[in-house]
Amino acid sequence: MAVFKNHEVFKEVIVGFFNLLGDTPQVADRLLASKMVIRFIYSDPDLAVVVDCSGDKMDVRPDDMDTKVIVEMSMKADIAHKFWFGKVNLTMALTRRQMVAKGPVPKILKLLPAIKPSYAMYPKYLDDNGYAQYNIH
Amino acid sequence: MLPEYYQFHHPTKVMYGEGLVGDFAHELEELGVKNYFLVSDHVVDGLGLIQPIREGLAEAGFRITGEFYDVPQDASVEAVESISRQAKDSGAEGLIAVGGGSVIDAAKAANFIFSEGGDLIADYSGAATLVRPLKPFIVIPTTAGTGSENTLVAVIYDVANKTKLLFSDKFLLPDLAVLDPLMTRSLPPGLTASTGMDALTHAVESYVGVDASPHSEALAVAAIKNIFQYLVRATKNGDDLEARGGMLIAANMAGSAFSHSMVGCVHAMGHAVGGLTRVPHGVANAILLPHGMEYNFEVSKEKYAALAPVMGVDTTGMSVDEAARAAIAAVRDLLRQLNALDAIPVRLKDAGVPHESLPAIAEAAAEDGTIVYNPREVEAEEILIHVRNAY
Repeated sequence: MAVFKNHEVFKEVIVGFFNLLGDTPQVADRLLASKMVIRFIYSDPDLAVVVDCSGDKMDVRPDDMDTKVIVEMSMKADIAHKFWFGKVNLTMALTRRQMVAKGPVPKILKLLPAIKPSYAMYPKYLDDNGYAQYNIH
Repeated sequence: MLPEYYQFHHPTKVMYGEGLVGDFAHELEELGVKNYFLVSDHVVDGLGLIQPIREGLAEAGFRITGEFYDVPQDASVEAVESISRQAKDSGAEGLIAVGGGSVIDAAKAANFIFSEGGDLIADYSGAATLVRPLKPFIVIPTTAGTGSENTLVAVIYDVANKTKLLFSDKFLLPDLAVLDPLMTRSLPPGLTASTGMDALTHAVESYVGVDASPHSEALAVAAIKNIFQYLVRATKNGDDLEARGGMLIAANMAGSAFSHSMVGCVHAMGHAVGGLTRVPHGVANAILLPHGMEYNFEVSKEKYAALAPVMGVDTTGMSVDEAARAAIAAVRDLLRQLNALDAIPVRLKDAGVPHESLPAIAEAAAEDGTIVYNPREVEAEEILIHVRNAY
């Protein structure tokens, strides 16, 4: 059974977390330096989110299917949830087709060290924002 | 310690034998198609290496519907599109690549459009974009280095955007790899040495990388053993078919190892050197391998120590540190032996790298996608020390 029971809850959780990353200089500065524009396409529940690092600050745009992005990553919402706990090996997930990446994959791999601090932030974010039931302890 | 999770996927049938290129057609029967389009380059054709393939296929009732020889040194998007278009127009049902890394990668990527249609970059650049197998794909390598006949990756140069595109998908793995030492006999000493050292780099880096697994480690160790046994012999005497065969097998096994467990900081530095100064990939990796091993020494010394006997070092009575140092010394010694044959430089300056480019090389290496798999975090300032040592 999927972790998130509906689109609205998952959208609140994931968009809220991306915005938190955008407000955290330790993570955001390196993402902004990459100028990456990425669309995440989630399923079960369905959601599309563009994370745009091409400007001065990170811009998170849910339901944006129009922007021309550099990389598009598709995955189940459950995999995304596990990823932000640091519990998904990105390359293994790509090999197992748990994730599909369209575009320059090395550019995504380069960002992995930059987002390392976010793995500790995610469980705390869930606790602090009323989503404690989704935490993995 | 065992990894928490790993998988090993190796659908490519590998055949080895002297003169096999004229006698492998019966293996194609099970692939169910009769008409193949052949991709190679003018050098390989000029050496007469294609003729026995043509004859063997014709004798067994297979048809070559067309041939393409214009693959540039860096396989380009244009070449990939031409191959897929010409293959389709010729009525082919499968592809045969005969060549080194560029030819193999060009044909590998061409199979995307040849089989599924669409646009190479928009539809397939990335990872795991396919949902079903492609058309039959046979590879006959003419170098012993890239191991591309055994990997799920193709690298294609996008001339318009001056960028290298990565395609990674399990369905890119060839159906059949034919390893025939007669196909590498005419490879000159310089290319023999640099491609062989590239294979050694694949093996060593996949062995110590963060995604190493028992399967990839076993292949890496076997590859390293072969390379230490055969690379100098193959470089010294191109007609030594046992050495040529040993190197083909080593490159193939190292290819499978790194296709599963990736590479690390040596390739990060090598990509940077190649990108900024155009030093060939194998030469850059050869020079940088011992320095990359030094960089990872503290975190990888147990593994280096385990490799020392494989490299021919008698480690009796040695501590882990001493055996690990001896493994790095063995790599340096191999490089020196190849250098003594005038086959490869041992320093970056001798390869034509300008001194002023070293900081930029270190910066670019620290940004390379391969650093994710390196057992030690890659910092530009630290890498610069080792790049300077390699100069």
